[in-house]
Amino acid sequence: MRKAPVVIVTAVLAVLALGVVLPLFLPLFFVFKTRLEFAYDPWGLPQAIRWENFAGAWEAIRIGQGLLNTLYVSLGAIACTVPPAAMAGYVFARYRSKVTEFVFYAVLAGYFVPVLMVLIPLYRLSSKLGLTNTLPGLFLPMAAFGIPFWTIIYRSFFRSLPEELAEAARIDGAGHAATFFLVMLPLAKPATFLAALLCFIGAWSDYLLSLIMLNDQNLFTMQLRVAQFLNNYGTSNMPRYAAGVVISAAPTLLLYILGHRWILKGTLAGALKG
Amino acid sequence: MRDWRGIGFQVLFLFPAVAFLAVFMYYPIEETFRLSLTRSTGLGDEAYVGLQNYARLIRDAEFRAGLVNVLAWAFWSVMIQIPYSFFVAYSLCLYRNRFTAPLRAIFFLANVLPSAITAMLGSFMFAPRYGVIATLAARLKWTWLQRIDFLGDPDLAFWSVFAVATWAYTGFGIVYLMANIEQIPREIQEAAEIDGANRWQYAWHVVIPMLSYPLRILAILSTVGSLKLFDLPYLLTRGGPGYATTTLGIILYQQGFTNWQYGRAAAIGVVIFLLSLVFTVAQFSIQRKEGELR
Repeated sequence: MRKAPVVIVTAVLAVLALGVVLPLFLPLFFVFKTRLEFAYDPWGLPQAIRWENFAGAWEAIRIGQGLLNTLYVSLGAIACTVPPAAMAGYVFARYRSKVTEFVFYAVLAGYFVPVLMVLIPLYRLSSKLGLTNTLPGLFLPMAAFGIPFWTIIYRSFFRSLPEELAEAARIDGAGHAATFFLVMLPLAKPATFLAALLCFIGAWSDYLLSLIMLNDQNLFTMQLRVAQFLNNYGTSNMPRYAAGVVISAAPTLLLYILGHRWILKGTLAGALKG
Repeated sequence: MRDWRGIGFQVLFLFPAVAFLAVFMYYPIEETFRLSLTRSTGLGDEAYVGLQNYARLIRDAEFRAGLVNVLAWAFWSVMIQIPYSFFVAYSLCLYRNRFTAPLRAIFFLANVLPSAITAMLGSFMFAPRYGVIATLAARLKWTWLQRIDFLGDPDLAFWSVFAVATWAYTGFGIVYLMANIEQIPREIQEAAEIDGANRWQYAWHVVIPMLSYPLRILAILSTVGSLKLFDLPYLLTRGGPGYATTTLGIILYQQGFTNWQYGRAAAIGVVIFLLSLVFTVAQFSIQRKEGELR
């Protein structure tokens, strides 16, 4: 095979990839500068490493509180999504009958319903239940909209396990629940890990539900605070804005760098089966 | 004899999932349909008004603008984002070497960023005077570029938001297509090479036809995703200037949570739902017809 096209295609891909990461690196030119320094020479090297912009951005939208709130919502979303999905997926995989198939299709249909469609009734229901302006008000509906997808994944995972395993457990005298908790669930660890990771990222990234459910500034999640920064502090103080970009993107980037293998795998697990 | 224990176990294990769905999904869906037929503002009584909310939407210039925007968005995602994803995915698969192997993770990176952060990065690039493009233009003394207001110009705003979305969301298509290309047996490529096809002829005549199903799935996902578009245009432009970047999602949100017109907002929700359903079913039925022919 000729060499030239390989070099050209590799170069094109590298440039495109650079285009993806560049917006994440460019803020580093600005973050360490004072506004004056930025105005005179935005692209030069900073004269000194200053952390004031980070402190300014952190305090302006109280990022610490936001991280705690978002962490709580994300953990809540995992706790409310993964166990119901695993249990239902198991029943759909191993107890197939007309009734369970019907229930399965009812759950499957939920996969196609966008949150946006039911926004108004969801808000009214939550205010009746006293869930508006609370963090569970975010992760309970999130769970409902996440369960269909993970039920599908668990169902196909449990179906792929050999039937004999459950048989053997039953012969040993294990009941239905014991078979599930002691034999099947430990085998489903990879699925559970993916479900937990992707639920976490989903809840972490949510903007729409937080926007409609929360009014109290103390409860604001990370993404609402980022949006607040975008609207209230804006780009007129660019060095501080850039610091805001760096601080708010950092946790997600860190998570991605540590877990990208799993994140890619989980995303595809869903996509290839669907 | 019936296995009551087994049945009890099934009921118990299905209960949490079904309960979550019943309360937070099925009931709100039913309410969406019901509310869309009423005049309801959150205060006072709800009055049944038949299809009035829908009739009103059709006459509403803002709603029509939002509908046109999301359909245009869907069209251009299919025309631009999918070919681009295919090009990157195919190149990454067929020109696999030391330099290109780690790029897959990089292309997917923007996909995991929360939309609020993506929007923040978008305005970091596009902001007038202080943004990256404006300061670079100033440094290069390109005044024409410096003068462009990417998010404030009604003719440009749609494309600026679209560019941010393309940056953020094509990673999924790339990774998804790569996984599908990798599943094509190696012998097929070798056979094509023996027949004298170069790699781009192989792509056009062999790979694209073989990927017709995943490409269709991507097209459905893009289309349905466009109908639900909210975060990025709302955060970047609030749907403006004028109605230039408004979407069905933004109008729904404003009708519901700014104007307290629950009935009208619910009607938009129904429209979004029905359009998604139509697009999905249409695509799948085309798929089935082709399957029968084969």
